[in-house]
Amino acid sequence: MSSERTKVGVISCSGEAIPEGSISRLATRRVLELLRPDVTVTLCLPLFLAGNDGERNFARTHPTITVDGCPKQCARWGTEQHSGPVSGALVVTDILGTSNEGCHCSSRELSEQDTAAVWAVAERIAAEVDRVLAVSAPREVTSAEGSAISCGCSTPTPGGTITINGQERQIAGLQLIFDQCAAGGVPADGGDGAALLNAVKIYHRVEREEEAEYQKALLHAYRNFRCGIQPGR
Amino acid sequence: MRSLKENDVLVIPCSGIGKVHGLIGREATYRVTDELAPERTATLCLALLVKGDAEAVQAVRSHSCITIDGCAKACAQKNVAMAGGRVSKAFQAAEAFRNYRGAKPGSATALTDEGWVITRDIAESVACEAARLSAESEAVQ
Repeated sequence: MSSERTKVGVISCSGEAIPEGSISRLATRRVLELLRPDVTVTLCLPLFLAGNDGERNFARTHPTITVDGCPKQCARWGTEQHSGPVSGALVVTDILGTSNEGCHCSSRELSEQDTAAVWAVAERIAAEVDRVLAVSAPREVTSAEGSAISCGCSTPTPGGTITINGQERQIAGLQLIFDQCAAGGVPADGGDGAALLNAVKIYHRVEREEEAEYQKALLHAYRNFRCGIQPGR
Repeated sequence: MRSLKENDVLVIPCSGIGKVHGLIGREATYRVTDELAPERTATLCLALLVKGDAEAVQAVRSHSCITIDGCAKACAQKNVAMAGGRVSKAFQAAEAFRNYRGAKPGSATALTDEGWVITRDIAESVACEAARLSAESEAVQ
């Protein structure tokens, strides 16, 4: 047995028939990859029925938040029925109100409205993760429990690496941050780099005395990114 | 989503959230239901089946279903079968990669150009199968 930081499970409904299902799925991915990569894990909702006992025990071994697209709350119902009670339950239509009108199901058609909706929901999920963590104590885990989630959903996407004062620094979700900057109008040459630095500082701690070096390194990485070269991993 | 017609074929992906294969299955579904065969195919939320929604259960029992799973756990296929649905054909996105060795399809969040090519490949196979099932269904009537 060992003690480890509690990780919060985030289960998305991912409903295929409605845009809000796509928003729930993408927002959950954003939280796993970018907003709270070190403290969140997930599992495919259908695995509760199709999977094994380890997978069905997911909500018993992790404080879990469900993210549903609509008031039918399939993710909440499925999780509570097959796995255990949830610590939080969010509904995309409650979060967005009418601002999800015009959103799309397919990510091939993503518009600015889709992107804004995904970010709004992701930030709400992250806030809920923080709330749940605040009331959860670190837990004891066994090696068997630690391997219970075997589908790989809990593995955060690696970030990009930049070099600061000769040292490599990992930035979670750097590619996503660059995607967001590009979508938000940061030119391909990165301008003076201030917008890049500000975007990264939202998710990554940057010491004041290192800001100039970060800005320079991010400019270089962003220009490469816009030329199709991914940030180093 | 439009209402279901009698001879519609349901295309149901797993939408697995952990790997790119789940996103490929999901996007292949939209390619079929929105572009390649919108007049004879539709999709529904797999989570509704997990919930046991009566309307969703009735839909998979009364229509031919094509499932697209990301991995061998076959969650979509198993859940449709457990709901008493007719799985007429089961696809697995991972199998399509045999024709694209070394391809970098993207992540569970976003597909690359190669990922979209694989998606289209799967979607075309699904659309062909849907056409066959739809023709069979009409011939019986």
